[in-house]
Amino acid sequence: MTTLHVIAHSPFGDERLASCLRLLGTDDALLLCGDAVYALRSGSEPHRQLQAAGLAQRLFALEEDVQARAVGNELAKAVDYAGFVELSLHYDKVNSWL
Amino acid sequence: MAKSLLIISRQAPWNGPSAREALDIALAGGAFDLPLGMLFLDDGVFQLAADQQPTAVQQKNLAANLQALPMFGVEDLFACSHSLARRGLAADTLALPVQVLDNAALAALIARFDQVVTL
Repeated sequence: MTTLHVIAHSPFGDERLASCLRLLGTDDALLLCGDAVYALRSGSEPHRQLQAAGLAQRLFALEEDVQARAVGNELAKAVDYAGFVELSLHYDKVNSWL
Repeated sequence: MAKSLLIISRQAPWNGPSAREALDIALAGGAFDLPLGMLFLDDGVFQLAADQQPTAVQQKNLAANLQALPMFGVEDLFACSHSLARRGLAADTLALPVQVLDNAALAALIARFDQVVTL
C-alpha cells in the first residue's frame, strides 16, 4: 500500500525529514507544508538531502506556505489545498509526522 | 476485518506527553483486539533503554506500560536499527523484545499496514 507522508516541521534541528527520506517506499510521496517548506531553500542542507533522494514527481509542497516564506521552489510540485486533498485520496494512507 | 494500524513513536520518554500518548493508543487498541504494530524511531528508541529512573524527574515510569504491550496483544514491536546505532543503544540491551529493522524493512513495514500514525 502506498503512503503520502506529510511533514509540517522545519527540517533544521529535527530528524523528521531525514528519517522520512530513509524509510520512504518507492511508491510513496512526500508533501511539505508549514515550516517544512524551508527544506526547499536552495543551497541548504535539507535541499541537498531532497535532491539526493531523487523523488522527482513524488515531492510536493503547499504553494501558499512556499510563497509566505519566500523560500523559492524548483524541486517540488506545487499544490494548493484542493491538490492536498486530491493527493490524500490518491494514496492508500496518509502519515502525518506530528 | 478491522483496519491494521502502525503507531510510530519517535519522541524521547520524558520530553512531553508524546511517548506516553503513543503507548496509550497502542494499549487501548490492543485491548479492543485491533491489529496493531508499534515502531520506535528516532528519539523514540530511548524509551527502550533499560533501568531508567524517571522518578528522579518526577515522572511515572513507562516501563510497566511498555511491558504490558504483549499482554494487551501488541506483539508486533519494532525498532529502527539506524536510530539505535546513532544513539549507542545495542539491540540486546533493550527493556522490551523488539524486531530491529533496517531502512528497506521499515519501508516494507509501513507499506503493509492500512493506517499509520506518527507521534
